[in-house]
Amino acid sequence: MALLPQNVSFSRQILPILALIGIVIAAFYIFSDLPDRSTSEPEQQPPKATGALADSARVAGTGLVEPASEIIDIGSALSGLVTDLRVQPGDRVEKGQPLFLVDSRAARARLTEANAAIAEARAAINEARTAQSTASQQLALFRSIDDPAAVSRSEVIRAEGEAAAAKSRLNVARARLSAAQASASSANTEIGRLTVRAPISGEILAVNIRPGEFVATQGGGGGLPFIQMGETNPLHVRIDIDENEAVRLQMGAEATVSPRGAAELQVKAKFVRAEPQVVPKRQLTNSAAERVDVRVLQVIYALPESDDFRVGQQVDAFIPAVDNGPRAPVQSTEVEEQE
Amino acid sequence: MLWIAIRMLTGDAQKFYGLLFGIAFSTLLITQQLTIFVNLIERGASGVYNAPEAEVWVMDPVSRTTDVNYAMPSTALDEVRSVPGVEWAVPHLRAVASVRTGTGDLEGVAIIGVDDATLIGMPENMVAETKEVLSQPDAVVIDDGGVFNLFENGEDPIGQRLELNDQRAVIRGVADSIPSFTSQVVLYTKYSQALNYVPGTRNRLTFVLAGVTEGETAAGVADRIEEQTGLKAETREEFAQAGVDFIVQNTGIPTNFGITVVLGFVVGVAIVGLTFSLFIRDNIKQFGALKAIGVTNSKIVGMVSAQAALVGAVGYALGVIGTVTFIWAFSGNPFFKGFYIPWQIPLISLAAVVVILAITGWIALRSVLNTEPASVFR
Repeated sequence: MALLPQNVSFSRQILPILALIGIVIAAFYIFSDLPDRSTSEPEQQPPKATGALADSARVAGTGLVEPASEIIDIGSALSGLVTDLRVQPGDRVEKGQPLFLVDSRAARARLTEANAAIAEARAAINEARTAQSTASQQLALFRSIDDPAAVSRSEVIRAEGEAAAAKSRLNVARARLSAAQASASSANTEIGRLTVRAPISGEILAVNIRPGEFVATQGGGGGLPFIQMGETNPLHVRIDIDENEAVRLQMGAEATVSPRGAAELQVKAKFVRAEPQVVPKRQLTNSAAERVDVRVLQVIYALPESDDFRVGQQVDAFIPAVDNGPRAPVQSTEVEEQE
Repeated sequence: MLWIAIRMLTGDAQKFYGLLFGIAFSTLLITQQLTIFVNLIERGASGVYNAPEAEVWVMDPVSRTTDVNYAMPSTALDEVRSVPGVEWAVPHLRAVASVRTGTGDLEGVAIIGVDDATLIGMPENMVAETKEVLSQPDAVVIDDGGVFNLFENGEDPIGQRLELNDQRAVIRGVADSIPSFTSQVVLYTKYSQALNYVPGTRNRLTFVLAGVTEGETAAGVADRIEEQTGLKAETREEFAQAGVDFIVQNTGIPTNFGITVVLGFVVGVAIVGLTFSLFIRDNIKQFGALKAIGVTNSKIVGMVSAQAALVGAVGYALGVIGTVTFIWAFSGNPFFKGFYIPWQIPLISLAAVVVILAITGWIALRSVLNTEPASVFR
């Protein structure tokens, strides 16, 4: 203790002061180092019910945006090579407007053949008519002679036969004409069928064929539809409601819909209809291998005009519910459980 | 008079430092072991604390903790969103998977799938990059403890390719998270991506994280969710406690640490009791002399109390400083990441010190109080 002044004791004065300083520092460290266990606000807005729905009973569901007409997978009546493509994705088409043409050379060749046959039949008709008129003039001449000795009986019979033959040749030629005409019309129909037209007015959503590709009547290569189209004005949204929640759904009420990832873009969607059939849910990952046992009621709503929604997009929806209270337990099952 | 007692105490340096050592040692043992114990079992709640936005956790009724869980059908999310008082609800997937590293090693990892759009469920802070890197294709974010486990040779984890369930995963960021109890590597990714990384079972949605509307309490909303959906809903605090309880019930940790704490207490009683008794016995003549000049028993009790208080205060302070130094020194070690000293623990050890001194002081005093003033002459 020689280091210290005479009247200062290490153990009586310095040590307690050091201890005091140390404990203050320790306390400061302990309280400054306590972990932050408080909750924080999400940085991005998650989908949420707003307005009157926020405090009242509601049903939530996820849905997919689809055209009002649903998606139409355009097929081809006949198989063949695509020779011309008349539309691009995003085009608006009118009902009956050609979408794409399938190779029609074979059908056109048949049409030419049929047209030739028609011309031939017409010529044959003319020829038969001429023969008929010659025969009938000859017969009339013989008949106009009153003197039976002037013309032999056999001459008259021959002239009568010629007249009848010319008439039947004319009939045959007429029949050939209508056969050729029928064949031409059949070729025309086929040419018409080789032009694929829009079944409704709407928007082209996808084009999966290119000129030169082969289209089969049994669907396209890789299972893709050739052309997908639909009426996108207005857009509909198909919302899946868990069958357990379906009973609470207030049918006919407006739904609050927001696209995935942009929860602040909320729109009101009008009720269109509920699908009569409750189906197994599938749309979470859209993968074919996904197995699910949840069944959902699909409810269709019409979206207002907006640029924020596209066909196939996933949305979150909130719909008002019927009652405020919790679901009443099913009495009969409880009785069974007690037994 | 009390100053005399202090001088009497510090006069014998050997015994004084012996007493200090005894108290400091038991304080250190009790405080440090309790701190490690509390921090260790709180690792059971790290999954809850790593998702700072969630006020209510919704799960299947049989799920117990963040890691002991059973998946629900995907429509559970919509059912939770339908409950009044729920401001928002997002899906949360937790599952284990095997990952193959670039060097071909196989490692068990925890996959956490957070909401695609909002990234709710990610730890609040990132060590490297930002949370938004998850929007890149095949991106995962690894936790900082996982970097230590998976890349032992100090490689930069960013950009490393992993293979998960035959799928490519690229580490794009490092999250600042509290390690789990088993220090398992944790990979955060988007929910839709996590579905591909976890081998397929029918139901995958393990948790729904929910926020509470203003004016509602988390407990009230949790009750309402349970009532309306039939699922289990727990508030953040309840679920954190469930994780802690699970470790307490299923491991021998509480017993082991309990034994150490009791040992610390016993060692304290033994060392301090012995030294203090010896010290009093040595000074019995002085106490006798004091009695002879008319000092009352209560004055003597006061003197001994003052001695005990000094020893206790200084010894306790040294013990607490020791613990704080220990935690501070190891705060950089990944194993001790997030360790802190709960403010209750120093108070518990203070109470233990008071009890130790009360017991030993009382034993030592008995002889003093019975001393005849005449003993000074013997």
